[in-house]
Amino acid sequence: MRWVDIKEGFKEFLEEFKREKTGIAGVILLILLVLVALTAPYTTMPDLPDKWRSSAYWEDNPKNVPPTWYNMFTSQKLVSQQVYYVDNLKISHPSDTDTVIEADYTFPEGYYYGPQGIIIKGINVTLNAPSQAPTMDIYLLRPDGKKIPLLKNKQLSSSTTISIGRDSTISTNVYIWMVNVTEGREITPFEVPLETILISDMVAPMFAKVEPGMDTEKIIENPEPLWGNYKLILEVKNPAPKYNQVDYNNIKMTFLGRSYGTMGTDYLGRDLWAGIIWGSRVSLTIGILVSIFSTVIGLVYGVTSAYLGGNVDEFMMRINEIFASIPSLPILILIGATLGHVTLWFIVVLLVIFGWMGTARIARSMALQIKEQTYIEAARALGAGNGRIIFKHILPQLLPYAFAVIALSVPGAVISEASLSFLGIGDPSAVTWGQILHAAQAQSATTKGYWWWVLPPGLGIAVVGLTFVLIGTALDKILNPRLRRL
Amino acid sequence: MGYLKYLVFRIANAILVLLIVTFIISALFVKVAEESNRSKMYEELMQWERTEGAKIKQSQGMEAFEQAKAAKKAALEEKYELNIPYWQKVYKKAIRTLKLNFGTTSMPIFGTNSVADIIKVAVPRSILLFTTATIIVIILGIFLGVRAARHAGSVFDRALSIFALLTYSLPMWWTGMMFLLIFAFKLGWFPLSSMFDPQLTGWAHVKDVIYKLTLPVLTYVFVVFGGWAWTTRNIMIGTLQEDFIMAARAKGVPEHKIIYGHALRAAAPPIVTMIIFALLGSLGGAIISELVFNYPGMGRLYWVALQQNETNLLIGLTYFSTVLYLAGVVLADMIYGFLDPRVKVGASAKM
Repeated sequence: MRWVDIKEGFKEFLEEFKREKTGIAGVILLILLVLVALTAPYTTMPDLPDKWRSSAYWEDNPKNVPPTWYNMFTSQKLVSQQVYYVDNLKISHPSDTDTVIEADYTFPEGYYYGPQGIIIKGINVTLNAPSQAPTMDIYLLRPDGKKIPLLKNKQLSSSTTISIGRDSTISTNVYIWMVNVTEGREITPFEVPLETILISDMVAPMFAKVEPGMDTEKIIENPEPLWGNYKLILEVKNPAPKYNQVDYNNIKMTFLGRSYGTMGTDYLGRDLWAGIIWGSRVSLTIGILVSIFSTVIGLVYGVTSAYLGGNVDEFMMRINEIFASIPSLPILILIGATLGHVTLWFIVVLLVIFGWMGTARIARSMALQIKEQTYIEAARALGAGNGRIIFKHILPQLLPYAFAVIALSVPGAVISEASLSFLGIGDPSAVTWGQILHAAQAQSATTKGYWWWVLPPGLGIAVVGLTFVLIGTALDKILNPRLRRL
Repeated sequence: MGYLKYLVFRIANAILVLLIVTFIISALFVKVAEESNRSKMYEELMQWERTEGAKIKQSQGMEAFEQAKAAKKAALEEKYELNIPYWQKVYKKAIRTLKLNFGTTSMPIFGTNSVADIIKVAVPRSILLFTTATIIVIILGIFLGVRAARHAGSVFDRALSIFALLTYSLPMWWTGMMFLLIFAFKLGWFPLSSMFDPQLTGWAHVKDVIYKLTLPVLTYVFVVFGGWAWTTRNIMIGTLQEDFIMAARAKGVPEHKIIYGHALRAAAPPIVTMIIFALLGSLGGAIISELVFNYPGMGRLYWVALQQNETNLLIGLTYFSTVLYLAGVVLADMIYGFLDPRVKVGASAKM
């Protein structure tokens, strides 16, 4: 084949392909997917795979919450995340030793729960006189005028992170306050039922109606939202301002939402949207690489087997059958599990090893027909070697078929990769859809109804699969004119 | 005679492949088992050194300790079969497997230790779920596919094609998770776990089984039937364009008879192959889907065996599915010879 012929053939093919609507749809989808994968660091955040496994990085995010747009479909509206930096806070200094920081928070009407928690961090302390370390009191001033003492005399240091909702001392204080309001008696921290504090949501009651005469347990179980303006007050006492400096410039106060971002969060508070976007990289790469490699290997293998014929053919087909008859998934799981750390490249190799057999068999039967044609005989008569005949004369005939096979085998490869990741076998330094689903299954997200965690990764897999199926069937239609309907 | 000879050749061929595969899987699983056994042995030896070994060292001195340690190590090596050379072990395992003597597991599963009995418990369960579902899929797929081929280009045909392409790219286990979310969690129609209740008997048991199987079966059918219908459609469209169909139409054969009598029969060989492989494959279960539904069939058993390092069970299960696959290959070859007169094999092919 000369270059002009190839160009001409390609042009003709393009013309035909343009008429296939499904094929065009597939190509558009593919371009979109590639764009999404390439721009992942810019549209979400850079270096996500490094951060994905560090739970500290995601500390400022609420856990297991649905996406913000979910509010449009539900009557029980969920508040979103609100972050305060030093500019949004009222900081006053009533005296040399005292500092008061106030955060105004509005719990908007019609919303169901208050925030999932509050996280305060980034207070820098330079400690020169440890005996006179600065301390902090925290109060929540509610719209009904009641004031909850959350924390008293907490010693401050630079690493101090206060997380209301995850700290049992604060939860205990909330409980004591509730009993005080509802029953009018003071109880000691030892009278507070520990399991209630540890298991139930102790932040919702802070933002709920608590009146004398109400039952504490009932409020915790079923809090009735109290809408209005709240004020979180931090009182820092620094008895020795000359020695110990407290710097508020980096302070960060987060009112954790009951909903988050575009796709919600998982059990560590990880931003699932970022995970989904980054996951597309792995899926596309692995899907395309595996299908290209296995198709190429299958083609060469099948054609060689057919061309050489005789005993060599028999032998090569037996090897093919051996590979085909070994159940691949258990073997892949076994290999993955024994090796421990598996890189993405290794997964590609594994999937290729168990993925070339079908193509080889079809390529063989196609090559058996081509082999008998006169031009092959002519080439042989001219003294062409086996390699030349296989690579120059037979394989190019199969190329169109190869492209269709490559496209059609991508979904299988993507699903296999996801299956392995789903079983916990995968590259721990990558974020993949299968791994997100693995975490979802491990945390039994399905039985808890966390749809935003289960739905998107699978949809991602389906979209990648669909893209290549659309392209593949369009190619197939052009190459197999019998399928084309008059 | 040609056909018989061909058949004998194919069967011999399948047996040869089975032999080789058995050796390969034995080698692989024995290797893995050896590694885990070695670490187990050293763990136990360390344990011994810290307790009994320390006592001997104190009371009888260093020399006695070394002797006792060597004796203990030899005993442990025998216990974990580490004193036998690797290839000998592989050979023994492979031969035993070929004789269908799968041995026992170290921990009882389904209340028994015998690998053969465990598989005997699990296979009917997989048949109950996957074979049932596969039969539904085959009937539905062929029926819809034939319909689509008859009215190719119609709205129905297009809708079916799009549905098939969509479901082809869905992982079945993910669809299962979604169905669980929708039908079990949100709507509460089906249970979240498909594990049977062992206390029920009689009619209550049947009801329990049906209640727990419906959602997995639905999932399987939903994901798979589109692809079947689409493949059938493509094969049928090819057949319907053949000359003999036109001849039949010209003769005035009723359309119904043309479709089911002439066209479907001519299209049968590839469809029958698909049926054979689907039915045999369904016996092996599906690892991940069974995990998602918590269904105690072959797939989940495989997973349990992998998790607990039950080498004998792993070899048994892998052998089982390899046999199924090879049986499918032979069966398909056989039926091809029957159904498609163009497949000339053996002596007649050379004429």
